Amino acid sequence: MRSVDVARTALGNTFRSKLRTALTVVAIVIGSFTLTLTSGLGAGVNKYVDTVVAGFGGSSQMFVMSTGASDAEPTDGPAEYDPEAAASTGGMFGPGSGGGVLTDSDIEEIEQIENVSSVDPMVFVSPDFIETPDGAQYDMELDVPANALGLELEAGEAPGEDGMELSIPADWLTIFDTEDAEQVIGETVEIGISNVTGEQSTVEAEIVGVSEEALSGIGATPMPSRELNQQLNDLSMEGYEGQAQNAYTMAVVDVENIEANEQGVKDALIDQDLLGLTVEDQIGAVQGVIDAVSWVLSGFGLIALLAASFGIVNTLLMSVQERTREIGLMKALGMSSGKVFGLFSMEAVVIGILGSVIGVVLGLGAGLVGNAWLTGEGGPLGAVAGLTLFAVDPLAIAGITALIVFIAFLAGTLPAARAAKKDPIEALRYE
Amino acid sequence: MSTPVLETENLVKVYGKGATRFDALKGLTFEIHEGESVAIVGKSGSGKSTLMHLLALLDEPTSGVVALGGEPVTALKPKKVSQLRNDTFGFVFQQFFLNPNQTVLENITLPLKIAGMGKSERNRRGMEVLEQLDMADKAKNKATNLSGGQKQRACIARALVNKPTVLFADEPTGNLDTVTSEIVEDILFGLHRDHGITLVVVTHDEDLAAKCQRRLMMQDGEIVTEEHGATGVHA
Repeated sequence: MRSVDVARTALGNTFRSKLRTALTVVAIVIGSFTLTLTSGLGAGVNKYVDTVVAGFGGSSQMFVMSTGASDAEPTDGPAEYDPEAAASTGGMFGPGSGGGVLTDSDIEEIEQIENVSSVDPMVFVSPDFIETPDGAQYDMELDVPANALGLELEAGEAPGEDGMELSIPADWLTIFDTEDAEQVIGETVEIGISNVTGEQSTVEAEIVGVSEEALSGIGATPMPSRELNQQLNDLSMEGYEGQAQNAYTMAVVDVENIEANEQGVKDALIDQDLLGLTVEDQIGAVQGVIDAVSWVLSGFGLIALLAASFGIVNTLLMSVQERTREIGLMKALGMSSGKVFGLFSMEAVVIGILGSVIGVVLGLGAGLVGNAWLTGEGGPLGAVAGLTLFAVDPLAIAGITALIVFIAFLAGTLPAARAAKKDPIEALRYE
Repeated sequence: MSTPVLETENLVKVYGKGATRFDALKGLTFEIHEGESVAIVGKSGSGKSTLMHLLALLDEPTSGVVALGGEPVTALKPKKVSQLRNDTFGFVFQQFFLNPNQTVLENITLPLKIAGMGKSERNRRGMEVLEQLDMADKAKNKATNLSGGQKQRACIARALVNKPTVLFADEPTGNLDTVTSEIVEDILFGLHRDHGITLVVVTHDEDLAAKCQRRLMMQDGEIVTEEHGATGVHA
């Protein structure tokens, strides 16, 4: 029997009992639909994260935090007081994530590490208000200058190192009574901040950019330049004599030739109970989480497929039973056992192809429509610039189809082997 | 005398073991020559069906030899045996074994499809055979819509489509009424007479057997008598 005839006969046989085939196919469709959707979701979100990373370029920066390892030893009951440990954890800006803060001595140590060209300790400031030229005051929170790299701008440029500059989010344009982002560039605002004794003072700053909100949240709040941030910090610390004045949540470290020296600097930091993360490390962690989530979801798809494969076994076993005499006749007329096996496993493959193609098409449709609706204009996530929730990865689609067809083939081998083993005489006598 | 197309030597077939042992065939040796018409006659349980299965290479003997055209086939690989069956034999079964979902033409060209022949050539040969049996107008009908006689003619067409040297007919008229039986018998013996096809008929019908040139009377796994000369209408 020619292969083309095997394929054609298998296709014809598959449609002989349409309802049974349809139900088996539906089970596979559910699995392939789920897999298509989850892999597309993972690809889409990772693609978005990649575009965000691309904005950072080949950054030579590393973010350094205290691991707090020296004082993180869990104890039964209250831990004994240790003045030094307390100094490094008790800062008023402690991130509260189990890690400590960086002290001036930490910064000095970091500066001593080989290949470190500069260290920039980072502080969070909490201004009280922002005042527009017409005198109206608004509540405000400031982002940290180190995040300026991740800023997605609608107009102007990101606030730099020097100069009293800041960027504002696009939805703050309303306070200037305008919709044109270009118009607010160059406007001067006043920022008010209280010091530890409650005295309020103000500084002037110029708007240099208008930002869109990224998925990471960067751009949702105004972003100061380093100088503005430092000035505000100095103002807020006036009159305070404690340790916290010199406590930093993290430091931005410039590393020479980061590709080659990344590991060396990290190791040196670990020796100081410090943790260094590059931008890629942080994004990588995000992508790792996204991958893990999409793998877990894909796992459900695979479970659905596993269940569906038993459907194939069941369907084909019934089919083999019903067609016992037909199999007997084919064998009596000279069809080899190998071809009988081929015919029945081909029927399983046909079911697999049907199920995977329908499922993939439905999955792509649902993913693309869902993505357009959610992230499109006016959608629930439409405000997040450049967000994609679903991407078509041809390689993954091909992989899913191949996987399902292979699973279907495997499921078909048991019934097919049973068909191939039938004795023609017994089979022809079968009632 | 012509060459024996089929010959057997000391053919034994045993089913089961120990207490359930059943000797279906107890050492048969005979020859069937090309162009002969042979009837294997016997009651049910006499071993006639078992003998036909062995002759048609559908089953393997417990011991003894079946030779096709002088070549013993017992040693051949299953795939080669399948191919021999496809090339040299035609089968007419008591139950027609037609696929009800397929057309008559698709049904009767199944042996050619198995042989690996292309579709257009298959259909050409199929139509030829259907015309020979006055069934050409039924070619596109579903097999399920045929009468009993038409079904058996379709079966004969299927058996002839690969131009076999030997035609095996297992109770070919068992499911047919008297009138239809006669038509089918006429076709079978007409093929034998006009096309020189070797005909091996397995039956318990004395009238059908009487029309064959030679009759092997079987009982309890042995050939008890052998009669020569057709006594029927085609004598």
